[in-house]
Amino acid sequence: MSQEAPQQNPRPRVATYLRTHLRTIVATAATLAVLVPLAVMWWGSRMPGSYSVMDMGYVDLGGGPDTMGLADRSGHDMSGMPGMVSVADLVADPGRPADVTVDLTASQGTVTLASGRTVEGYMFNGTSPGPLIEATEGDLVEVRVHNDDVEDGISVHWHGVDVPNAEDGVAGVTQDAIGAGEDHVYRFVVDDPGTYWYHSHQVSHTQVLRGLYGPLVVHPRGRPSAVDVMAVTHTYAGTRTLNGDEGVVTFGASPGAVARVRVVNTDNGAVQAWSSAPYRVLAVDGREVNEPTAVEGKRVSVPAGGRYDLEVTAPARIQIGSTALVVGDDDPGRAPQPRDELDMLSYGSPTALPFDASAPDRTFRYSIGRRPGFLDGKPGFWWSINGHLWPDIPMYVVDEGDVVVFEIENHSGEVHPMHLHGHHAVVLSRDGEEATGSPWWVDSLDVDDGETLRVAFVADNPGIWMDHCHNLKHAAQGLVAHLMYSNVTEPYRAGDDTGNTPE
Amino acid sequence: MIKAYRILAVIIAAEVVIQAMMIVFAVAGLGKYIDDGNVVDKAAMEDEDLSFTGVVGFMVHGINGMMIIPLLGIALLVISFFAKFDGAVKWAGIVLASIVVQVFAGILAHDAPYIGLIHGLNAFILAGSAGFASRQAKAAEVGAPATTVAA
Repeated sequence: MSQEAPQQNPRPRVATYLRTHLRTIVATAATLAVLVPLAVMWWGSRMPGSYSVMDMGYVDLGGGPDTMGLADRSGHDMSGMPGMVSVADLVADPGRPADVTVDLTASQGTVTLASGRTVEGYMFNGTSPGPLIEATEGDLVEVRVHNDDVEDGISVHWHGVDVPNAEDGVAGVTQDAIGAGEDHVYRFVVDDPGTYWYHSHQVSHTQVLRGLYGPLVVHPRGRPSAVDVMAVTHTYAGTRTLNGDEGVVTFGASPGAVARVRVVNTDNGAVQAWSSAPYRVLAVDGREVNEPTAVEGKRVSVPAGGRYDLEVTAPARIQIGSTALVVGDDDPGRAPQPRDELDMLSYGSPTALPFDASAPDRTFRYSIGRRPGFLDGKPGFWWSINGHLWPDIPMYVVDEGDVVVFEIENHSGEVHPMHLHGHHAVVLSRDGEEATGSPWWVDSLDVDDGETLRVAFVADNPGIWMDHCHNLKHAAQGLVAHLMYSNVTEPYRAGDDTGNTPE
Repeated sequence: MIKAYRILAVIIAAEVVIQAMMIVFAVAGLGKYIDDGNVVDKAAMEDEDLSFTGVVGFMVHGINGMMIIPLLGIALLVISFFAKFDGAVKWAGIVLASIVVQVFAGILAHDAPYIGLIHGLNAFILAGSAGFASRQAKAAEVGAPATTVAA
């Protein structure tokens, strides 16, 4: 307690007041020193009810030129400027008729899986996974989507297919969510044969988890594979399934038949796949591996959102997490999980890249951490990008034709399956170790804690593209950035008042 | 203010106990779930619909540890500025510092399990310092001289 000073020599009243209340004043100042920064952080983290993703964060030019003067755009509407193109106009040739037409109807309710198990969730055409969409290389695919009764609205993202931006299916970024009772048509050309999948990108951390997804396969023109098997894995309420089935799933094939097994990981975490007999990894994320060799005693780790095409000879059993796919009539039995993981960095044979990654036009850093702060007003420990919390994160800006390098670094304590929309990137190195195998093209890449991966791609698909963690809960927790072409404008808005919640 | 300080310090100490109870509840439940023949992998652990007795323990541990206890620690520090007894700010600072250590050790232990040992040990430091802070406040409340800590 402070002591009252004797009043023998009266001092000015202010000085006396300060002296007698010194402790309270100091305590109040200390309180303000603690609380004011917190209040400022809290206030600054709150998102408006409607915002454009283009106005988020700060422009990162990656050492390249600021062609359109975006660094000081200050939220100005640039849509009227010459040379600018709207996301909505980045579509496939509208005059070209479709080669493949598909109708998808989304609904919510009780889903009966192939295993007979029922779960509460979402479905396309009454099933989860939704129907397999098949097309041939070069086809124009037209998908007519109807949202029957999904209250939050839906959208459909073509995961791994490098579609024109307006067809990317991200609510609030490339379209408005399709409300209950509404329709939307997607049109895109599938130029790259391979294994893909589609899923909702509206409230995606809930809708995908609970079943709003399906597989998509693009067959090579004129080269049909003998036996083609889907192995779409998804975990419903803690139970892993394979094509909606559980346990050991059998696909009949005569002995000696060579099968291409398309493993699609639709979960939020990596799944391990292996076989007792030697197998080959034919493709990763819809891109063929160059000269794949036989793999023995190793497993592949398929990242969340990733696809691995494995070649086996019947009879064979591929273990996929706790489920298994038997190709053939006889089950060779379960093989124990190999301890070693196949490293795609050195698998297959190298071949020339279609561009020179040694002298990129832009080099970006995507450093993932975790720190305390506020996310839209909510306190917690959130994922950070380059030390910043969402939405104060980099907007990676490129010009069309740029060779782009991303250095993705993770020190957040957890693995992150990073997914860049609209592009395939080739992995150049991991922790400084150069790739020595086949070009390893990815759209979904696990970045482990403590790792730095260098990936490169050519900016050849104009638009505004999400670059986010495909552990979709993490995306909802702020691990979402965007790659933006400098001449593209954004007509769509996200936020609580817009009905668009892509994460 | 001293009373508020004391109550808040007791709540923080109690929260640490709740944290210990919750995480053991969750891990025991997970063990039984696996014992019953179920398989848990990364995807299952990320699945918010995963259901077994004790799963709520993981949720409570996470929300308590990363949101509520840090906020309580900040509140204790703020109150300590007004709680007029010796060591109020110092002990609130120690409590908050051990909360920071605890959260980071908890997060880092996900990828480096040995750090989990620090998380377990530091829980006692946190509960102990919060308990000591509350006793100091109690001593100040009743007007008795606060006990000093042996070096």
